[in-house]
Amino acid sequence: MASESILRVDAVEKAFGGIQAVDRCSLTVLPKSITGLIGPNGAGKSTLFNIIAGLYRPDGGEIWFDGTRIDGLPPYEIVHLGLTKTWQIPHELRNLTVLENLVLAAKGNSGEHLLNLFFRPRAVKRDEKQWRARAREVLKLTQLDGLANEHARTLSGGQKKLLELSRALMSDPTLVLLDEPVAGVNPALTGSLMDLIEKLRQSGRTFFLIEHDMNVVMNRCDWVIVMHQGRRIAEGRPEKVKTDPVVIESYLGG
Amino acid sequence: MTLAATGSSGGAKDVAQRKLPWSQLIAFVAIAGIVLAGVLAGALAGASPQGILTNVGFYASIAIIFAVLALGFNLQWGYTGLFNAGIAGFYLIGAYTMAIAITAPSPPIVIGGIPVYPGHLGGYSLPLAIGAILAMFAAGAAAAIIALPALRLRADYLAIATLAFASILQIFANNLQSVTGGAIGITGIPKPIAFLSADAPFLNAITIVGIGSAILLAFLLLLQFMAESPWGRVLRAVREDEEATMALGKNTFNYKLQAFALGGALMGLAGALFAVTLGYVSPSSSFAPAVTFSVWVMVIVGGSGNNRGVIVGAFLIYGLEWLSVQLKDYVPIALAAGLPTLHLLLIVTGFIAVITVVLIVLLSRYRPTTAGGQVLRKIQGHGWARTGVIGAFALYGLGWAFVFLEQYKPGAIGDTIFYTRLMLIGVLLIILIIYRPEGILREHKRVLR
Repeated sequence: MASESILRVDAVEKAFGGIQAVDRCSLTVLPKSITGLIGPNGAGKSTLFNIIAGLYRPDGGEIWFDGTRIDGLPPYEIVHLGLTKTWQIPHELRNLTVLENLVLAAKGNSGEHLLNLFFRPRAVKRDEKQWRARAREVLKLTQLDGLANEHARTLSGGQKKLLELSRALMSDPTLVLLDEPVAGVNPALTGSLMDLIEKLRQSGRTFFLIEHDMNVVMNRCDWVIVMHQGRRIAEGRPEKVKTDPVVIESYLGG
Repeated sequence: MTLAATGSSGGAKDVAQRKLPWSQLIAFVAIAGIVLAGVLAGALAGASPQGILTNVGFYASIAIIFAVLALGFNLQWGYTGLFNAGIAGFYLIGAYTMAIAITAPSPPIVIGGIPVYPGHLGGYSLPLAIGAILAMFAAGAAAAIIALPALRLRADYLAIATLAFASILQIFANNLQSVTGGAIGITGIPKPIAFLSADAPFLNAITIVGIGSAILLAFLLLLQFMAESPWGRVLRAVREDEEATMALGKNTFNYKLQAFALGGALMGLAGALFAVTLGYVSPSSSFAPAVTFSVWVMVIVGGSGNNRGVIVGAFLIYGLEWLSVQLKDYVPIALAAGLPTLHLLLIVTGFIAVITVVLIVLLSRYRPTTAGGQVLRKIQGHGWARTGVIGAFALYGLGWAFVFLEQYKPGAIGDTIFYTRLMLIGVLLIILIIYRPEGILREHKRVLR
């Protein structure tokens, strides 16, 4: 099992002051799956995502991604290994346009190195052109193409969620951590978004997502992990988790 | 340059945004008005044309120096969001490095057993260009050394570290006598071209302005190219949200370090220009914290994140300071000499204004479709235009107030303006922050194609 997994979290711990947010949590995510992470508010789901993405340093435990140990690495190196995360509360770059937000998320844009501007101007121009074109493609997928040249701050809450997803797709990741990707997105778009995620999964990507929308979790995920008080309390196929008495008591309710 | 160009030359939407550049227009008119008022004050006081031009040249050269400082701070703060409370310190390093590099040797002077001048380090007589490069390098390296530990901490610590750094440097300059020449400083800094004629101050002023404007223009173009490139885009991303930028795969620390060091190097260049412009450096008020505060005001007023804007801010804010000195020196003399002329001027302009107003009102009532008839509606309909008309009449009233005040108590106006100049700049800053927090020239939207 461990050797097949794309992400392995092993006894990870994290405390904030006196609160044990993540308490020796272990879990694995299989490649090319859509894995859901559910649990009550304060269960430690977002904290765990931030630890995996390198934004928080864990107090203990190990994290392995695709054969590399990533705990302790800075976030930008983890992105370059192919692991991207979106934020629960959108972190759009407010005074940059939607298109700029996307182009920024590209990996290996040579113009982002100061010396290349002066010594490799043609490569800079070529890269920039290529990434702008790619950004427009992604925006078409997420239906934000009409807003490409608007400031990101002018988007609605749901549109900002779409921007988060669009940015994640720009870096061509193998594993995407989605923190509540459809919260605040209208039902019709939620459907097409999840269709898009399904399509991207078939092209070889893995999705690990936190979501409170049980329709999405039960119908779209192939595996569901349940967290409670910083620990994994259950996992399994959606229909099995739905009927698990422990899960019903702590999260789903009777 | 193409990448830089795509930012500003957008589609139809961009044109619509540019239709009414009222605030820019007012800023340029204000700068022209400041220069004109200074010239007028000098002329009325009977100063020689060359004396007046030398004065204007001094204004331009110091404004250029502040503009270079503002460009440096704009790279740090306007683009990258890094606060710098020690601009004066990097400026000092540049000025002293330049002075030490390009002056001729000056040994200590002792008269009758009493040391009069402690001497200073160097006296290498290097060419000016090399001195300027060394100044940029020294200030940039200092910025990098401070930033290395401070940038890893929370943003507040960078402000504290730079503030302390600038204060320590001023104390060093005062007390490290064998290096800096102590309280006297370093004198005899060579001019770019040595003129021997009687017109030397005037010729020196125009040489310095010429060289300064060329340097300013070159660095404006260079910064515009860098800041509007993908590299500059990452800087703006760091300013907006550093954590998010890191999660997008950027090593934000490297970008912050680069921006801070390059901004510091620009401040060093400004110091080098300052040393050459004045011909001496001393640990006086030139490197006091007030310099740092002035640059903040220039960047905020001009438009943080807009390179052209901060240059406008520098010319405007330093212009107000310069004008206050001109008025203090010249207005009492000018008024004493020219009160009848001023009376006549005010009466004539008032007469013209009344006739214009009557014409506009009559036209808009009886010939509303003509171009002249539209004017009143335009003025009524547009806030900026209305403010302009009210402002013009207020200025006219102020002119009469001055005449009466000066007759009652000669010398009152010049002193009042000089001693309240910082208050006036403060009021300007407050008004701007309330009505236009993004500055006179706001940061434009980058429309990518």
